[in-house]
Amino acid sequence: MALLEVNGVSKSFGGLNALTDVNLSVEQGTVHAIIGPNGAGKSTLLNCMIGLIQADKGTVQFDGKSLHNVKPYDIIQRGIARVFQTPQIFGELTLLENVAIAALAYRDGRFKLNMVEPPAKTEPVYDEAEHFLEDVGLKEQIYAEARHLSRGDKRRLELAICLAGHPRLMLLDEPTAGMSRHDTNRTVDLLKKLAGRGAAKVVIEHDMHVVFSLADRVSVLHQGMIIADGKPEDVRGDPKVNEAYLGGAHE
Amino acid sequence: MSGRTVAADLRRDNFILLAFTPIVLLMPFWLQLIGGYEALATKVVIWMIFALGFDVLLGFTGFLSFGHAAFFGTSAYVTGLMLKHVTAEIVPAMAASFIVILILSAALGYLTLRRSGIYFAILTLAFAQMLHAAALSIFQGWTGGDNGLTMSTRPQLFGIEMLDLNVFYVAAVILVVMFYVAQRIKRSPFGLMLRSIKSNSMRLQYTGVNVQAYKQMAFMISAMYAGLAGSLMVIYEPYVATKFLHWSTSGEVVIMSVIGGVGTLVGPMIGAAFMMFFENVVQAFIGEQWKLVLGLVFVAVVVFLPGGFMEALRRLRNRTTGAPGSPGATAEQPAE
Repeated sequence: MALLEVNGVSKSFGGLNALTDVNLSVEQGTVHAIIGPNGAGKSTLLNCMIGLIQADKGTVQFDGKSLHNVKPYDIIQRGIARVFQTPQIFGELTLLENVAIAALAYRDGRFKLNMVEPPAKTEPVYDEAEHFLEDVGLKEQIYAEARHLSRGDKRRLELAICLAGHPRLMLLDEPTAGMSRHDTNRTVDLLKKLAGRGAAKVVIEHDMHVVFSLADRVSVLHQGMIIADGKPEDVRGDPKVNEAYLGGAHE
Repeated sequence: MSGRTVAADLRRDNFILLAFTPIVLLMPFWLQLIGGYEALATKVVIWMIFALGFDVLLGFTGFLSFGHAAFFGTSAYVTGLMLKHVTAEIVPAMAASFIVILILSAALGYLTLRRSGIYFAILTLAFAQMLHAAALSIFQGWTGGDNGLTMSTRPQLFGIEMLDLNVFYVAAVILVVMFYVAQRIKRSPFGLMLRSIKSNSMRLQYTGVNVQAYKQMAFMISAMYAGLAGSLMVIYEPYVATKFLHWSTSGEVVIMSVIGGVGTLVGPMIGAAFMMFFENVVQAFIGEQWKLVLGLVFVAVVVFLPGGFMEALRRLRNRTTGAPGSPGATAEQPAE
């Protein structure tokens, strides 16, 4: 059984069909890329997975359980992490605190009135947070305020926040958007390194270089429909895909 | 936060608490040296409690309430009515206020925290003004309307009359305890969650945290502090004025927090002391124009010292030690 199953999902916004009968399944531990031209419905699909948007029709199942009407924070608690197009971090807090928040959310659940915990019990959480920062290559500046980081480092921090939640599935919305070639390469290397960790990943990406160096499987979305789905090599050769996207006006 | 570890932060907090306690307990004496009077110290301490609780909401979560007079005033009325009609003992009166504020803040938090920013501020203001209007109309029989609520007997604590320094020491001990509680909240995992709401509540939500529940708790804790201050104010006066529910009371605590330094805990308390001193002592020297001068001070702080008095202290320390961002810095944001 696949980790994430999207079955016949349709969504329209005021008569505009954003998604039409989308089927998708993401296997445990794989990297699944979703590509497609602007406006193809990629972000809508991702938002359906995370509960930000409820689909009109169809179901999204994670680990065999429906995500219908589940609150976003509960979806995260079940083991899904979300990386946003613009890195979402806690700018005014230190890097360590940024990751500690996620580690605490994992340890304590969605809410805990935890006001008088002895430091000895909290310290291990900070230690764990430090390990995750080390994993993404940010160990040097854990007491710095996050807002001073470069774009690429903010993305690394966001990944560390996500990892601290011990996700089984990570949803990444254009993880290299707005980055220099150098930062893009560093981010791809990091994602490759993390790929071995076991969490499955769904990646929305424009950058073909990123897609083909990361993905185990590629789905091509065009005007809200999946027009191709398979191994990267197969999809690359698919004439429909070339027409809709690769050979089109875009890239 | 430039702290290295939770334990180190707590040690620094303890040091601040240790310095803070004697300053507060000796206030009736040193206040007289700088032109104040004994009874003013009680008022200062009460407003410090109010400002401290306000910082738990505004300073930590970033939610600016313009309706905290609702809690201050309601608690004052409940305490006043208890003292007048039930018993002159303050403990049951304060317990009753506590319960009423618990319920009121749960309801108001539930209704107002669905919005943020200006909408939240206006919603809280609207609810507080509704209570103010109710106190003057439908509840006039209870509240005495514009005449206020007066008590015939002096409030008591275990049979001891609450007069002058007695009131002060009850309030001062409560302040020290509540300051300790606020410090612990700030350093706790719960406090970290609150501070992250201010920074990026969407990220918090997508980190698996029920942000709404944390906001609700912060709101209620902050209301408890306001309620406590309201109760003490009645015990001090002993009189309840409709002004306690008026929006200007909400506004006052906002100004105290901002000029003192939002999010620092110590800052809003300094702001409260400054405001009380200004309104009651400096006012006598500059006469009618004192509000104008206060306004200028407020504007000057907001423009030149966005971090309030605490930022001034930090800049001063950095200049003398030559160490920018030294680990002693407790204030949150330079906001530059």
